[in-house]
Amino acid sequence: MYALNYVRPKSLAEAAKFLASHPEAKLLAGGMTLVPTLKQRLARHSHLVDIAQLRELRGIEVKDGKLAIGAATRHHDVAISAAVKKAIPALAELAGLIGDPQVRNLGTLGGSVANNDPAADYPAAVLGLSATVVTTKREIAADDFFRGMFATALEEGEIIKRIVFPVPKRAAYAKFHHPASGYAMAGVFVVVTAQGVRVAVTGAGPGVFRWKAAETALAKSLKPAALDGAALKVDDFNEDIHVDRAYRANLVRVMAKRAVAKLAARGR
Amino acid sequence: MAKVEIKVNGVRHARNVEDRTLLANFLREELGLTGTHVGCDTSQCGCCTVHVNGRAVKSCSMLAIQANGAEVLTIEGLAKNGKLHPVQRAFSECHGLQCGFCTPGMIMATVGLLKDQPNPTEEEIIHGLEGNLCRCTGYINIVKAVKRSAKLLRGGKR
Amino acid sequence: MFHCVRGSNSNTRTFPDTAIVEPHASHHSNRVEDFRLITGTGKYAADWNLPGQLYAWFVRSDRAHAEIVSLKVERALKHLGVKRVFTGEDAVRAGYTKFFVIVNYPGRGGQPIKKPARPSLAAGRVRHVGDAVAMVIADSAAAAQDAAELVEVEYRDLPAVVSVEEALAPGAPQLHDDVPGNLPFDYESGNEEAVKAAFQNAAHVTKLRLEVSRVAPSPLELRACMVQYEPKDESYHVYVCIQGINMMRKQLSFATDVPEDKLVIHAQDVGGSFGQRSAAYPEYCMLMLASKELGKPVKWVSTRSEGFMSDTHGRANTIQGELALDRDGKFLGLRLDWIADMGGYLSATGSASHTRNPSACMTGVYRIPALYGRFRLAFTNTVPVAAYRGAGRPDIAYVIERLVSQAAAELKMDAAELRRRNFIPREAFPYKTPTGSTYENADLRGVLEKALKVADWKGFAKRRAQSQKKGKLRGIGISTVIENTGAGLFPKDQITLECSADGTVTAYTVAQSSGQGHETTFAMVVADTLGLPLERVRLRESVQSKGLIGNHTGGSRSLVGAGSVCKLAAQKLIDQGRSLAAQELQVEPSQVEYAHGAFQARGSKKKIGLAELAKKQPLSVMAEATVGSTFPNGCHVAEVEIEPETGTTRVVSYNAVDDAGNVVNHAVVEGQVHGAVTQGAGQIFCEKVVYDRDTGQLLTGSFMDYCMPRAGLLRAINVEDHPLPSANNALGAKGVGESGCTASLAALANAVVDALRPLGAQHLDMPLTPAKLWHAIQSAKKGKN
Repeated sequence: MYALNYVRPKSLAEAAKFLASHPEAKLLAGGMTLVPTLKQRLARHSHLVDIAQLRELRGIEVKDGKLAIGAATRHHDVAISAAVKKAIPALAELAGLIGDPQVRNLGTLGGSVANNDPAADYPAAVLGLSATVVTTKREIAADDFFRGMFATALEEGEIIKRIVFPVPKRAAYAKFHHPASGYAMAGVFVVVTAQGVRVAVTGAGPGVFRWKAAETALAKSLKPAALDGAALKVDDFNEDIHVDRAYRANLVRVMAKRAVAKLAARGR
Repeated sequence: MAKVEIKVNGVRHARNVEDRTLLANFLREELGLTGTHVGCDTSQCGCCTVHVNGRAVKSCSMLAIQANGAEVLTIEGLAKNGKLHPVQRAFSECHGLQCGFCTPGMIMATVGLLKDQPNPTEEEIIHGLEGNLCRCTGYINIVKAVKRSAKLLRGGKR
Repeated sequence: MFHCVRGSNSNTRTFPDTAIVEPHASHHSNRVEDFRLITGTGKYAADWNLPGQLYAWFVRSDRAHAEIVSLKVERALKHLGVKRVFTGEDAVRAGYTKFFVIVNYPGRGGQPIKKPARPSLAAGRVRHVGDAVAMVIADSAAAAQDAAELVEVEYRDLPAVVSVEEALAPGAPQLHDDVPGNLPFDYESGNEEAVKAAFQNAAHVTKLRLEVSRVAPSPLELRACMVQYEPKDESYHVYVCIQGINMMRKQLSFATDVPEDKLVIHAQDVGGSFGQRSAAYPEYCMLMLASKELGKPVKWVSTRSEGFMSDTHGRANTIQGELALDRDGKFLGLRLDWIADMGGYLSATGSASHTRNPSACMTGVYRIPALYGRFRLAFTNTVPVAAYRGAGRPDIAYVIERLVSQAAAELKMDAAELRRRNFIPREAFPYKTPTGSTYENADLRGVLEKALKVADWKGFAKRRAQSQKKGKLRGIGISTVIENTGAGLFPKDQITLECSADGTVTAYTVAQSSGQGHETTFAMVVADTLGLPLERVRLRESVQSKGLIGNHTGGSRSLVGAGSVCKLAAQKLIDQGRSLAAQELQVEPSQVEYAHGAFQARGSKKKIGLAELAKKQPLSVMAEATVGSTFPNGCHVAEVEIEPETGTTRVVSYNAVDDAGNVVNHAVVEGQVHGAVTQGAGQIFCEKVVYDRDTGQLLTGSFMDYCMPRAGLLRAINVEDHPLPSANNALGAKGVGESGCTASLAALANAVVDALRPLGAQHLDMPLTPAKLWHAIQSAKKGKN
């Protein structure tokens, strides 16, 4: 790790102010991606601005059919939250599948979403549930937020405060783990709302995306078999030493089917 | 440089260290607590697992200064009043260790796992150990040790 | 309270008064070494510190193959805290250009192995990504690493080659000027003409091209070393992860010309080795030089990413195998064309591991009249390959057992029956193989039948049908193997045994445990022989001051070698005590009986204990023995279920029946089998080191990409002993450390291939990842349609 300075602001306003005056500074939340990246000297920052302990970024609240989760809420706390389990059990389940227990004890919702790793789990839930990302500057709809590999709509110095998830009728997540890293090799989040079906896919392409052909197919018939013919564009799917596009595409379809099958088991 | 004050195994320690000092290095080099091991640099192996404010974390993926003001428990502080912690006993009794390098992390991860799930199924144990690698045992006796730990912690006899 | 000894070079066992209530109750397996390891008070290489120590950081090549045009250290030297920067020139100036290689036997046509120079830091040319080109010494590890980035290296890229077939082809980039064709050694074994004749008479020939993939042994302890030069007596104290002090000293001395008696090796706990920790790596030599020139202890701790590109890799063999059979399924001949990837340089062990070791067991457990193997070593622009758990034995067993199961399938025979038909019969032992080994003994039929029974081989068809109903593909695989445990590099194994005045008996050995539990097992041998409780016996490893000759831990040989000498030493101690006791008791030695720590005059109540005797006079003996190879053998049966839609394999059962000779501690033996089988499963299902074919870049450089086995890969392994004692050592033991790897590669691969066979799929090379199996299933389906 290159030498750097650590600061722990007392408020979100102080954090934003610090970021504004230090262009080389970087926000630190759980640090589960950032710290290993720094250790490998793949990044260099003048300052780390630790916002993990800010009270304004904590907390889980259900109000008016919406679930709001503070950006600095740890994955583990989402996974075990009675409120989350009741409102969107698939989201609690997803949080419990991220990384490993030690990672879940430090990693945060806001950190994961802001980083937008193409194989991270949370972006699938945020996009699938059509959540709203509330920042220090504005509210951003999930459909506008994710911009491909490690890219988001966040501007310089903009900090995610919380994410607001509309409570759907039903939702389910199915994930195929990368055998070494534990990230998603393919993760599919399927959501049923009064407006229709949304299907968000992570791990397969350069960033989380909606599988619209699957949404159309499932709107007609909410059964795994409905996905058999759904077209899937794989040109930009990731290929690496572990798997090729064809296999990843297959995984997306199989995970989507499993998520749909889970929906049936999920009463509401 | 940063002044870091951490309560480790019940004892308060204050040190001036570089801001970039990892918690694992702080424990090993500043405090001489070499029971916390480092086995990788990508947060996969879990050898460095300690508890910060009661939660199992990888101390190689956290700056010492991030833990400023926190309470840290390491493998050295697990046994109390001359008695081994039941998880330590179970690992030995089930031959859940060979070279012992991953063992402190495995034990600390197990203590964390059993806090959340006092009576885990085999699936839950396997899921709960996803953050820890072992190269010697093949994990079979480790899973056994976790089951036995759960039993001992519940006050059960063997 | 605990009294944990810290900071001393001792294995002092200080149990808490109350902690482990029943330290050695039979139904528990608490090992003697466990206490310090579960309390965090063990001491691994990186845990040693000395006052005033400096830190080293290595600058490593990011190129696979390049000339070093220039190397500038000025900027690095100016960095705060930097003391010195060493380069290849310093290594050459010090004369550190040799590297120890154990092969000392000729190859084809009597040609010796070519051992190119290997300076302790690369000089002039780099040959793999990770080849160290400079070493920065500073007063902190962070400063050394910061400064390492300021070392400016200008390279001129050379074409790189990472596949053995390409490396041996004409026109390939040449790695070493004095090794034409990248072929340092061409070795053969067996009778080429006899095999040719056998194949001419064959009714059936089974052929397979097999790859035993390159893997990263990855003991979880990171490689670390600290050296303190002592000017008073010109000695070097080396604190390092090892498999045995003598092996380390011999190699360091060879590379640096420092006499062995000036090298003092220190080790207490070693966090796994698997063959990877036996070598004197070039970094250690440079640390010696640095400590001498700077007058301070110098410490280096590797990172895992660094380890992937500088710790030796394992396996990496490509084999064309052919098995000739007659009409009745009797084996007539076996022919192998074997290419072993050595990486950029010869390691200490790799060349022997992949020539002599596989040739020693080339006949497997079968009576095959004609054998011939040609073994070629090839240099490639990759990390050097060395012994890895089994060191060529898993590779050869995999080749034979895949061929045999493939032949059974081609002949539509039961795989177990084909093996039965060709086993070396029990009465044929000792069996002299066509490649010159003499197998001592084995009950192959007994081992097989036991394995088939515990695995319910006969009931498989029914289980397969049940899986099919669930839409799953089920397969069963078998392997029957034998291997030669290592005879060792040193001519004998010695043990010193001392009884102190407090009655404690201490055994000294130079074999270093890295998880095998010597402190328990060896102490049990001594305690059992002396009739003492285990608590009164302790083992101290790697104590150099005793001057013992002996081998390192490797080749599954520790218990067979040093462990069995513990028994001889204990017997010798009784003899020594008897003479002394006779004087004390004033009777003839022949009238003195020994039991449970005391000598008694026959027919009298006059008695004297070991401790009392030791108070009067030191009791100390040294015993030794030359123990050659033993031949552990076994039969493993694996059963798998594959989910066709994702290609995911689940191992539903694994049965291991092993003849490890007499077993001293079943829990330890079982643990060795668990670990080795899981390493085998890791290699079969997920592990593989991958290099980019064009650039020679390492693509699996961390645990993020290199897939290590995790909990749940194997849910259970049923381990059954089938002991047929060996007569070659005092315990009747055979080695067990590696047999799990040797048997599991083929058992698991055979099971997967068996599961896919009904679809028409053929051989697949490891690793058998979900993606690979899914593709195989898809193309098999397409082929059928």
